Amino acid sequence: MLRRRTYGAMTLAGAWMLAACFAVASFAQEIKVPALVTAGDESAISTTGSGTATFYLVGPGVSRKSEVSLGQEIPLRAQDLRNAGTYTAIVCSGTCQNAVFYVSAAKPASLAFLVHPSRVPVGQPDAVSGVAFPFDQFRNLVLRPQTIHFQLTAGNSALLSREVLSQDGVAWFRTTSGKSAGLLQVNAALESVTAKRAVQQVASDPCNLRITGQRTPEGIVVQTEPVHDCAGNPVPDGTIVTFTAAEANGKSTVDAPIKKGIARAQMAASGPVLVSAASGVVIGNELRIEAQR
Amino acid sequence: MSCMLKRSLQFRLSKVVVIGLIVLLGSTLNLYAADATAQVQLNVAKAGPRAVEDLTERGILRDYRFAWTSMAQALEFNTLDPLEGPFAGDAKKWLQETVSGQQRDGLSQRYLNQNHKLEAVFYAPEGDVMELHDTAEYQLQISDGGKLIHDEHVVMHYVVLMTPAADRWVVRQLQAVPQF
Repeated sequence: MLRRRTYGAMTLAGAWMLAACFAVASFAQEIKVPALVTAGDESAISTTGSGTATFYLVGPGVSRKSEVSLGQEIPLRAQDLRNAGTYTAIVCSGTCQNAVFYVSAAKPASLAFLVHPSRVPVGQPDAVSGVAFPFDQFRNLVLRPQTIHFQLTAGNSALLSREVLSQDGVAWFRTTSGKSAGLLQVNAALESVTAKRAVQQVASDPCNLRITGQRTPEGIVVQTEPVHDCAGNPVPDGTIVTFTAAEANGKSTVDAPIKKGIARAQMAASGPVLVSAASGVVIGNELRIEAQR
Repeated sequence: MSCMLKRSLQFRLSKVVVIGLIVLLGSTLNLYAADATAQVQLNVAKAGPRAVEDLTERGILRDYRFAWTSMAQALEFNTLDPLEGPFAGDAKKWLQETVSGQQRDGLSQRYLNQNHKLEAVFYAPEGDVMELHDTAEYQLQISDGGKLIHDEHVVMHYVVLMTPAADRWVVRQLQAVPQF
């Protein structure tokens, strides 16, 4: 009976010693990672125990393996922590222990700014749009909300000045194009970081198309008055004006591009002619000319 | 009689072996199929300000799945080729750096049984960039010279920027975050 009790006590003591050994072994590889690191900052991982171990750091753009001494801090170089994301730290000494930590983006250093279109007719609703993404110096998307100031200026007049709080790393705007043709400056600013883009505003469709004409020995010559859009901007050269001449024996049509603000066409005709002009969806006045027979 | 019994036993044994081989082959193929592809579900209901057209939705789904399959191949076999095409810009750069680092130290990563719940959260007015949130689940294995040093089922959150290229959508930014 006594012998059995002694054996029992010895077995219990053995089990405790074994458990203690395991506890020491696992304790030896305990690692503690930083709660949150900012991209490009140095940091460190603390370890407990003694002896040497193999340390692994696996993260975005990083895959590093090195020998370390347990019980000492493992320095994490700034260059290994440039990319925002998840990093896995593994320490192996017999068995492996791991821990995960996050690296967040640093402060904004640049703006990716997309503006559309590059050329826009004036007075078009929701025609100009811009999207801005703040990035830090390591090209990580800054996800913390940032106030981005969008400003649109044409000449000396401000068309839009709006502050937008970025959400999920993006801020955007959409607005109507200005009233006068010319360069539209589109700026996005985040504290000292700015991005500038330009949009060329061009005249919209012609408005109040008016034509004049006269007869010539070969027929008639017709031309427009200087062609403008409804806001008074000269319609760009190259815009096509279609002249149609209706005679007793049929119709003839000529497409003429605007040159120096005016479109002109010579048409063969005889007798009374009814001439009209159109450009896009705009129709001009009708003109009656008596051509030579 | 004894000869008959012997033949019957041989027949039964060969039958068991054949069935065993079929089961083994089937499970191996099944395992490969489960490992090699990424399952992706896409929700575009919250995307804005531009609505996501059906064709775009299918393109994003196809190209994002391909990107993850390619990334898994690149990081498992330490080759840069799979990164050509599905990735561009910063995402491609850091993936290339990871592969180079792994090649140098003899490490590799495996992304097994990938399951991605992808949600489009922003689609630019002109359709030239889309931001997505991916809640990804997979088994992550890290090996050193073929020896497994890390094996964990993880749930990760990724912020993704994709832009249209000539014939596909490419991943430009793939940034893990603690939460959305």
